[in-house]
Amino acid sequence: MVDFSIILAGFGDVFTPINLLFVVFGVMLGQFVGAVPGIGPVMAMAIAIPFTFGLDPLPAIAFLVGVNKGGLVGGAVPAILMNTPGTPDAAATALDGYPLAQQGKPLKATKMALFSSITGDTFSDIVLITVSAPLAILALRMGPVEIVALMIFAFSIISGLMGESLIKGVIAAALGLMFAFVGTDPEHFTPRLIFGYWDLFDGLALPSVAIGMLAISEILRRMSASFGTSGQGLLAPDSGNPDDRRVSWAEYWSCRYTLLRGATIGTILGALPGIGSTAAAFMSYAMTKAGSKDPDSFGKGNLHGIAATESANSAVVGSNLIPLLTLGIPGSVTAALIISAFMIHGMQPGPLLFQTQGRLVYGLFGAMIMANFVNLWVGQAGLRLWVKVVSAPESVIFSSALLLCFVGVSMATNGLFGVTIMLIFAVFGVLMHSFGYSMVIFIIAFFLGPQFEKSLAQAIALLNGNILHIYTSPVAVALLVLSVASVFWFLSRRTNTVADQTNLGVPDGETLDQKDP
Amino acid sequence: MSNSADRWTGAFFLLFGLAMFFLVIPVYVEDAQGGNLSPRTMPNVIAWVIAVCGGFLVIKPTTHQAPDGRFFAQVAAYVAVLGAAIYAMSLVGFIYVAPVLALVIMLMIGERRPLWLGIGVVLMPAAIWFLVTQLLERGLPG
Repeated sequence: MVDFSIILAGFGDVFTPINLLFVVFGVMLGQFVGAVPGIGPVMAMAIAIPFTFGLDPLPAIAFLVGVNKGGLVGGAVPAILMNTPGTPDAAATALDGYPLAQQGKPLKATKMALFSSITGDTFSDIVLITVSAPLAILALRMGPVEIVALMIFAFSIISGLMGESLIKGVIAAALGLMFAFVGTDPEHFTPRLIFGYWDLFDGLALPSVAIGMLAISEILRRMSASFGTSGQGLLAPDSGNPDDRRVSWAEYWSCRYTLLRGATIGTILGALPGIGSTAAAFMSYAMTKAGSKDPDSFGKGNLHGIAATESANSAVVGSNLIPLLTLGIPGSVTAALIISAFMIHGMQPGPLLFQTQGRLVYGLFGAMIMANFVNLWVGQAGLRLWVKVVSAPESVIFSSALLLCFVGVSMATNGLFGVTIMLIFAVFGVLMHSFGYSMVIFIIAFFLGPQFEKSLAQAIALLNGNILHIYTSPVAVALLVLSVASVFWFLSRRTNTVADQTNLGVPDGETLDQKDP
Repeated sequence: MSNSADRWTGAFFLLFGLAMFFLVIPVYVEDAQGGNLSPRTMPNVIAWVIAVCGGFLVIKPTTHQAPDGRFFAQVAAYVAVLGAAIYAMSLVGFIYVAPVLALVIMLMIGERRPLWLGIGVVLMPAAIWFLVTQLLERGLPG
C-alpha cells in the first residue's frame, strides 16, 4: 500500500509551473492535431516522444497524456463539422454530430462532444486512481481462452451496428480480418499474403489503412460531389439562435444516464487490452440507441448519440493505463507509446511501479485530472476557432487535408509505400461505402484480427488442442452465452425498415447520403 | 427497386472467397509443421465466410442502390491525380509536388478565386514544410 504522504506529494508535484505548462501545451497540441484529419493524437505522440528525452519524467509523461486527451476532444471537431473523423474513435460521433451541424448547430454539437468527452474522461480517471489495482487483478486472471471469448463477444456486439444487412456486416468484418492476416503469422512467423512485397512483412500499417479508409475515402467522395463546382464553405450556416450555440444544463443533465453508460463501457473496455476506444464508442452508441424511447431520432442529430460516443471513447484513455501501470501490458497503440516513453525515462511499468515510483504515478494521476480541466478550458476557446477554420472553402480544406495525410502517413510508415497503401485503401473505402458495406466494422476487425488469432492459438494450446474444451472456463462460457444472446437480441430488434432509416454503424457520411450518394 | 448492386457484389465476394481458398492461400500462405494453429487455418475460414456470405447476398440482396457511373469516373480522376502525385514525389520529392497537387485538386473542385488558390497552393504547403522539417525536424515524403 502506498503511503498517503507519497500520494499527496505526487498530486502536489503537478502544480509546479513547468508541469502545468507542459500539460497545457500537450492538450493544445493534442486538440490541434486531433482536429486535423490524417494526423491524430497517436501520430502526434509518436512524433513528440523523442522531444521528451530532455525532460524530467513527470512533465514528459504529463505532456504525452495531454496530447492524448486533447486529441480525443479534437478528433470530434472534424467528425462533427466535416463528417471526416480526425481519429477513428470519433467516427461514431459523426453519426449524430454531423447532422446536428448541418441543422445550423455546429457549436452545440461540438460543445456537447467536449462536455461528454471530459465527463467520460474524468469518470475513467477517478476509476483508475481508486480501483486500478483490483481491476488489474481481475484482468490478470483472464487468460487467452477468456480473451478469445471476449473478442467474440465484442464482435457479436458490433453485429448490432451492421446497418442495413447483417450479411454485409459479416462480409465487412471478414474482409477486415483477411487484411489483418497480411504479414507475419503470429505463431510460426512465416509470411502470409505479401505477394513478394517485403514491405508488407510486418503487415499493413494501421495508419495507412485507417486514414485511407476513414479520411481519404471521405475526402474523395466529397470532392467528387463538388467536382467542378465553385469552392464553398463546408458548414451549413449557423442558425443564429443563441440556444443553438450552447448546451444548456437541462440538455446536459438529460444525458446523465447516457454519459454514465458510455463512461462505464469505455472504462471497462479500456481496462481490457485489445479493445480500443473505437469499439467502446460504437458499443455505447448501439446500447444507447437500443435503449432509447425514440431510436428513430438517432443518426439525425440526437445529443444522446454524441454523449454516448464521446463519453465512451474518452473514458478509454484513463482506464487504458490500468493494465499498463499495474501489469505492464499496453491495451492500445496509445498505451504502447506511453509505455515506450516510460521506459525511456527509466520507469518499468508493472506490479512494483506503485511501490518503487509511487510519487511519480500519483503525479501522473494528478496531471491527468489537470489535463481534463485544461481540456475543458482550451476546448471552449479552440472549438470556436475550429468552427471558423472549417468554414473555409472546401477546396482549401480538402487539398490541405490531403497533403497532411500524405505527410502524416509517410512519417508514420517511413516512406511512400505507406502512402500508396493509404490510397489503395481509400479506393477500397469508396467502393465499400458505395455498395453499402461498413468501413468501421472493417477497421475494428482489422485491428482486432492479429490479437484474436494469437489468443486463439494460445487458447488451443491451453485446451490441449481441442477448442471445444472451452467449457472448462466459466468466464469464457458466460461471455459466449452473452455473445449468442446479444446477436439474437439485436436480430430481434432489427427490421429492414428501421435499419434502412438509421443505417446504424455506417459512419462518416453514409448515414446521410447512402440512399442517394 | 433495383437490387442488382448487391447481386453483383455478392457474386464478386462469392468468387473472391473461393479464389482465395483454392488459388491464393495455397500459393501465398506458407504452411508450417507443428504448432497449434496453422498459418492457413484462419485465412481459409475467413475465405469461406466471405464466399458463403457472398452467396447469401446473391440470393437475398438488400435494396441498396450504388452511385452512378459518373461518380466513379470522378473518383477515378482524383485517384489518378493522387497516384501520379505519389509517383512524382518518389522522383522529385514532396516539396515540388505538393503545390502542383494542391493546385490541380483545387482547380478540379472548381476553385478559381486567386486568394484561396494562393492559400492552398503556397501557404499550406509552406506551413507543412515549416512544421515538419523545421519544428519537428522530420523528413517530408519522397
